[in-house]
Amino acid sequence: MTLTVTDLRKSFGGVTALDGATVAFQPGRINALIGPNGSGKTTFFNCVTGMIKADSGTVVHRGRDLTGKAPHTIARNGLGRTFQLCRTFPRMTAVENVLAAVPPKGLISGLRSARRREETDRAMGWLTRLGIEHLAHAEARDMSWGQQKLLELAGVLMAEPQTVLLDEPAGGVNPALLDRIGALVRELNAEGRTFVIVEHNMDLVMSISDHIVVFDRGRPIAEGPPAAIRTDERVLGAYLGV
Amino acid sequence: MPSVSRVLKIAAIVLVAAAILAFPSLAPNPYVLSAGVLVLNYAVLATSWNFVGGFTGYISLGHGALAGLGGYATGLLVVKGGLPAFAALLVGAALVAAVAVPVGFAALRVRGASFVIVSIALVLILLLVFQSWASFTGGSRGLVVPRPFDLSRPEHHRVFYYLFAGLLAVALLVWWLIDRSVFGLGLKSIREDEDKAEALGTATFAYKLMVFVVSAGFTALAGGLYALWFGDLDPVFQFSILTGSYLVLMALLGGVRQLFGPLTGAIIVGVALEYFKVEYGDTPLHLVATGLLLALVVLFMPDGVLPAIGDLIRRFTPGDRTSIREVSAAELRDQRLQNAGGTR
Repeated sequence: MTLTVTDLRKSFGGVTALDGATVAFQPGRINALIGPNGSGKTTFFNCVTGMIKADSGTVVHRGRDLTGKAPHTIARNGLGRTFQLCRTFPRMTAVENVLAAVPPKGLISGLRSARRREETDRAMGWLTRLGIEHLAHAEARDMSWGQQKLLELAGVLMAEPQTVLLDEPAGGVNPALLDRIGALVRELNAEGRTFVIVEHNMDLVMSISDHIVVFDRGRPIAEGPPAAIRTDERVLGAYLGV
Repeated sequence: MPSVSRVLKIAAIVLVAAAILAFPSLAPNPYVLSAGVLVLNYAVLATSWNFVGGFTGYISLGHGALAGLGGYATGLLVVKGGLPAFAALLVGAALVAAVAVPVGFAALRVRGASFVIVSIALVLILLLVFQSWASFTGGSRGLVVPRPFDLSRPEHHRVFYYLFAGLLAVALLVWWLIDRSVFGLGLKSIREDEDKAEALGTATFAYKLMVFVVSAGFTALAGGLYALWFGDLDPVFQFSILTGSYLVLMALLGGVRQLFGPLTGAIIVGVALEYFKVEYGDTPLHLVATGLLLALVVLFMPDGVLPAIGDLIRRFTPGDRTSIREVSAAELRDQRLQNAGGTR
């Protein structure tokens, strides 16, 4: 298992967002996390990546216990994420946005120029791969929503994560771009990256994922390959609304 | 070929540097020279403030307190500790930088308005301490710091003018170094979106704390140099909310993302403050004028004077545009290939 989450619990006041969620993700797969709004998917992401402190439960990534660690420590452990409402650094150029994802190892390397050749080339490489290299020197705030989503993904990939958590990659994206994102995820997955994707677009979910976990009321109620999930009665009842 | 705006920029920098260096020879009387020292003092303080304000976007109103601490640390080390003046200055600044660690540890945990309020609290607490602890600090009677040099008054001003200019040069150099560094990029990403920066692997708290300590060190050096120059410290002026507010005004006016922004702001606001004081004496009118200036800047030049000037120049030099909307992807790709081929 590459990412193992055990009995994760989180309440906001009287609202239970996560109610003992236990999920294990196998390496090299594209996993999808689906479920109705408010079923705890984003809170699950936030607790796993340390953005929110869980009330209890453990998170283990590639054999390392990341429970309660700071988000930057978790990120450096090879767990990258995007945000539901995609987040970039608005007043920085695209290439700076991507370069900002490689924090220095120590104090001395931190004082080196941020525009070193090899790092800049690597950043440009990601921008090129995502098809937005012509915007390298444009500020993120001047870019369209779709471009910003690609930029955010470029930043996450720059840090070379083994596991990538995507929070609604299809949200607000046009069909052409959606195809591109889908193809890209498949490509990146083929290179060995594990994906966990929260997504409401069922076409995308069913077409790209190897494994689907269905959340309801803060915990998984079913999991399996797309074909099985499509016909699972509990899923139909809770989510697909049949 | 260097662009027009770049040539203008370099010319402006050389001109301002020459003007700053030539000022003491041109000053008609010691009063004007002393006003020049004050303006440079503000320039160093505003540039020091900009290590925190410009890079991380945390607006501190408490930097006046750090300058005051630097002043008192230097003064007390000379008066009570018997240290030579400039040794006291350096030790004092190191002490303030050390104090900035726990202060930053507490203050940098909160963001936005809460951080501003914590920074104000720092000023008020220190004001109370230094006023009440009269047996050590001299309290409201003040602390007299002996002059380091045996010079006439105009000469004294001249020497300190150049000392402040030197300190300003060092502060600007360090700011520039951080600005172009990997560390600086991390700091700027904190300014843009702190949670996102953290999620990308930047140890945001450590970054903020480090730059806060650097900022405090430079601020304390400016405060200590002021103490050696002015020779008399009073808690009411050393620990004043006004100082911090002036620094914020100067930095915002000049432009916090610009290396020379705070310096530009300090020259404008510093000269204006002196002028208003001469014209209207010690009436609150100079405060009204300052407030008006801040309102105008926020309304019409939210990014500060320097970016506004830059935009203006760009408007009159077509072909120098960088807007993404007016350049095709193919053109940009060509540009990139050219850059890759060059020695840049």
